[in-house]
Amino acid sequence: MTGKLRNRRVFSTRPVARSAIATALVLLFSQSGAAVGADQGAQLAANCTSCHRLDGHDKGIPPIIGLGEERLTSAMLAYRASQSPSHIMHAIALSLSDEEIASVARYVAAQGK
Amino acid sequence: MKSWTRREFGCLTGAALLTALRPRMALGKTKARVVVIGGGIGGATVAKYLAASATTIDVTLVEPRQVYTTCFFSNLHLAGLRPLEQFTHGYEALTRQYGITVVHESAEAIDPAAKTVTLNNGSTLSYDRLIVAPGIAFRDAALEGYDEAAMEIMPHAWNAGQQTKLLRQQLESMEDGGLFVLVAPPNPFRCPPAPYERASLVASYFQRRKPKAKILILDAKDSFNAQDLFQDAWNRHYPGMIEWLPAQFTGGVTAIDAKTRSVITAGATFKAAVANVIPAQMAGRLAQQAGLANQSGWCPVDPVTFESALQPGVHLVGDAIIGGDMPKSAFCANSQAKACAFAIAADLTGSARFPAHLFNTCYTYLAPDDAFSNAISFKPVDGKFKSVISFVSKVEESSEVRRQAARAAEGWYDAFTHDVFG
Repeated sequence: MTGKLRNRRVFSTRPVARSAIATALVLLFSQSGAAVGADQGAQLAANCTSCHRLDGHDKGIPPIIGLGEERLTSAMLAYRASQSPSHIMHAIALSLSDEEIASVARYVAAQGK
Repeated sequence: MKSWTRREFGCLTGAALLTALRPRMALGKTKARVVVIGGGIGGATVAKYLAASATTIDVTLVEPRQVYTTCFFSNLHLAGLRPLEQFTHGYEALTRQYGITVVHESAEAIDPAAKTVTLNNGSTLSYDRLIVAPGIAFRDAALEGYDEAAMEIMPHAWNAGQQTKLLRQQLESMEDGGLFVLVAPPNPFRCPPAPYERASLVASYFQRRKPKAKILILDAKDSFNAQDLFQDAWNRHYPGMIEWLPAQFTGGVTAIDAKTRSVITAGATFKAAVANVIPAQMAGRLAQQAGLANQSGWCPVDPVTFESALQPGVHLVGDAIIGGDMPKSAFCANSQAKACAFAIAADLTGSARFPAHLFNTCYTYLAPDDAFSNAISFKPVDGKFKSVISFVSKVEESSEVRRQAARAAEGWYDAFTHDVFG
């Protein structure tokens, strides 16, 4: 019984369905009072997509999808603190405020769910 | 509200970001009409992000070519490392996924008072907002004797496509021991490191196939972008093969003689086996005709909205604009285009505005497995683009770091072109 349930659960959260749910949520937010935060994260994430793919199919560039909000935030803070290992991410992280990092991390993390 | 087709539903992962950019829909309201002229990196990006930002905006992209070949990475083709087709992209996804109308005609004239664009087939397009991304044109008579016929003998290869293939064929059929002359343009020009990347990658090809060949760079400048990184690499990878002559040594290139395939400077004439002549540049032809360029030949804009300083209601992005520290690169064009799209979407739909972030990142090849990168962030300060943070690879980096950068460059190309055309 447990096994069956687990199977059903796996089935119900396959990538297409999950991204559709995420999209539906985003659409919902963008039409409500919470639009400001969601939209700022999306606009900031447009900077990410100049180098990273949001479908996770990156070739040779570290993927940012599937990392989770906390890990993305701590990675950005680490990039902001040091020029190593990437001066590109260092320059980008230095240009973002704490609020902007939180906003873009929240947004990008939601894309991986 | 937009109804989702099966195809779009399947593409949701990629489209989710863009969906989130959409503000509240103004039901029943007539759609705002935005026309984008020019389907290069700046034009394609601004069209895509505007179309994705609001379903209440109707976007038409005017671009005569059916496909676009990127200038960036085309030096790999000149070195015989990649087919040019690998760097060629169509506009189908912009229509299929984002509902953009792509008109394959060239724009002949703009009437800012009537808010219309006339196409070469005689038809006109009306707009509420116009974005012009005209790229570059070559300055007339910048080099005596370098006309269209001369370009077929001594190619510029500064718009990727037939010219790139022509230069590649000439390099391939050149005999070992021949002299390849590269004429580098004065500032500002499209892609500051590119002439020197070109010399580097052609040198890597010569080293493999024509080890007695030489490369002579005749520069209109006395220094160039990332000069220490290039000259270090030339000494390490291609000792004795590349010679760079600044303008202060030669007096600058004054004329071209296509009949003898010669490049003429104030003090000497250099006869080439193959010559690549990159002329002085200015904003594209339409920008000049439409009064969007000032005396510099380039287009001043507001650094927040990218609205022309000379023609209200017309916006510009990409290589054609000036006003501060942003170089003329594909990455800058892409970054500007997103900021411009969000500013126009906010104006047309009343959605929230956020401070824009402007960046440049370039990966540059010194050899097939040796690349460097830079990263710059910009802010609008006193009406100009000001560089606020800037980093570039260092001469003393290990070969492993450079190999990683060469691999990252490939991944960047894939993600970047997906961002623009995918």
